[in-house]
Amino acid sequence: MPNLFTLVLQITVILAVCRVAGSVFRKFHQPRVVGEMFAGVLLGPSLMGWIAPHFSAYLFPPSSLGFLNALSQIGVVVFMFLVGLGINPKELKKHGHAAVLTSHVSITAPFVLAAFLSFYLYPKLSDDSVTFTSFALFMGAAMSVTAFPVLARILQERDWLGSRLGTVAIASAAVDDVTGWCILAYIVVLTRSAHSASPMYVTVGGIIGFALLMIYGVQRLLLGFEKSYRDRGGLSENAMALMLLLLLCAALCTEWLGLHLLFGAFLMGAIMPKEHHFVRYVLDRFETITVTLLLPLFFAFTGLRTNIGLVKGQEMWMYCGLIVLVATVGKLGGSTIAARLTTMPLREAAGLGTLMNTRGLMELVILDIGLDIKVISPALFSMMVLMALITTFMATPLLDVICPDRLVWEGTERASKWQKSSVPQLDLDATGGSAA
Amino acid sequence: MTSTTRRFAVSYVFLVFLPMIGLLGVLRQGRSLRAPVSVDGRWKLQFDPAQLAALPCGKALASVPDPVLAISQSGERFTLTTSGGLATTSSGVIQDTTLNAALQSSDSPGNGSGCDGDHSLTLIAKLDPTANPKSLSGVLSAKDCSVCAPVSFQAVRETHSEHKAGR
Repeated sequence: MPNLFTLVLQITVILAVCRVAGSVFRKFHQPRVVGEMFAGVLLGPSLMGWIAPHFSAYLFPPSSLGFLNALSQIGVVVFMFLVGLGINPKELKKHGHAAVLTSHVSITAPFVLAAFLSFYLYPKLSDDSVTFTSFALFMGAAMSVTAFPVLARILQERDWLGSRLGTVAIASAAVDDVTGWCILAYIVVLTRSAHSASPMYVTVGGIIGFALLMIYGVQRLLLGFEKSYRDRGGLSENAMALMLLLLLCAALCTEWLGLHLLFGAFLMGAIMPKEHHFVRYVLDRFETITVTLLLPLFFAFTGLRTNIGLVKGQEMWMYCGLIVLVATVGKLGGSTIAARLTTMPLREAAGLGTLMNTRGLMELVILDIGLDIKVISPALFSMMVLMALITTFMATPLLDVICPDRLVWEGTERASKWQKSSVPQLDLDATGGSAA
Repeated sequence: MTSTTRRFAVSYVFLVFLPMIGLLGVLRQGRSLRAPVSVDGRWKLQFDPAQLAALPCGKALASVPDPVLAISQSGERFTLTTSGGLATTSSGVIQDTTLNAALQSSDSPGNGSGCDGDHSLTLIAKLDPTANPKSLSGVLSAKDCSVCAPVSFQAVRETHSEHKAGR
């Protein structure tokens, strides 16, 4: 049985610290979520465990972390559903060559650079229980991800959603996320099948069968939710409960198939109907509790696993610096070059690269999976968390310098109808659904 | 084919296809790389408690009924935690199949743990990577104590299912 006093105390402290850190970061024009991610690291062994080890041990005794983890994972399951809900494959088609080239290069450039970096890091930060292929592919997937919700939040705050830059960024980030999760699924299957009793082809076959069933079978049934919403102007409690049940069942299926809970949740979100008002309605129902209560628990749990003390000595900090450098050059540089080749002006292209370089929460989710399946070591995990924080933090000030508002709108025919026809995004600052 | 499409196609080949081929080459070449041997996990310790209790800093570990050494590995480096409250901040290195680590108590000195001043335990062990499950054999000795006799120990890595059950 969980010690309820400890659990409630943990939640109270985490929520308070996250809200304060989020508010401080808002003062520096950063999305609140960046502050909350930072708060998670502060609560872990990197700061609180270092300066107040006894209080840290009292607040987060190892025996209590299982319950905190369970709650945080439920939050991430719902979060991944909402991320999937915000992804619309039709967006990519709308923006043609620019989005296709930018998104694909923004994946391949950091991916290939990360694989080259793995040559150097694998013998130093991994061990022989992990194959080089799994290590390099994981590093590639982790470096090529884009924080879709954070990116949407930055665009929304700057009122860039209707600009060419905004639309290409949203479409490219959507492709990045879907591709990144497919690659990660492959790595998880590869790693887990080594410890699994069932052969790999059974797992892969099961996953493909499940995906096909979801896309060609369940997706049609889900249209009933949209119809019900249109007819009644909302969804009944039973309909919402059914949606939650389907989400949990999909998550359980992918976990049972040897993948991970989050893949099922993401897929369920991705195949939901994409009508603007319906998506906004569903986001509003789930958003507040997920963003204000459950995600901070995930940040705290990730922070508890992040020990910057493991990045000790010049050599380790050099590895960390290399990771940040390679991630930034690959993502920011790759996206900028690709956007420039599609005739986008240089500063606007660099703005797009900066937006694509935000990794934020999605990176933490991927890293958590990597640490769980032991593809990355605790020290590398800490370095990658630092990289996620730095690349996300640098987005706003960089955009201020290289891509001011007037440049974004210069030459862009403001598509005022775009916001109505496109899919709304998760509001990570939880300022209320109407904000989007 | 319009000039835009041609430009797109050429860019795509150079920026997507060629790097992908490069990636395949990297993955192929990387297979020959060797990472340090894996010691991550929980290890069941076996030693003579009476001998260990005689060492400065050894009392805490010697008094534990089923002592366990938990190793968290990051490449050549690792951190250690023992079930006796020792070594929550200790770290070590792996060279080939030899482990070297210093175990320090997280308790404050003078609380009966036997750790005073700069005393700490030194762990030197050799891994048998061919054993299934993997095993360690080595010695625990007191740092800066020339009259203290080192204590031999054996350790066997817990299997995945044992580890889960032990949680």
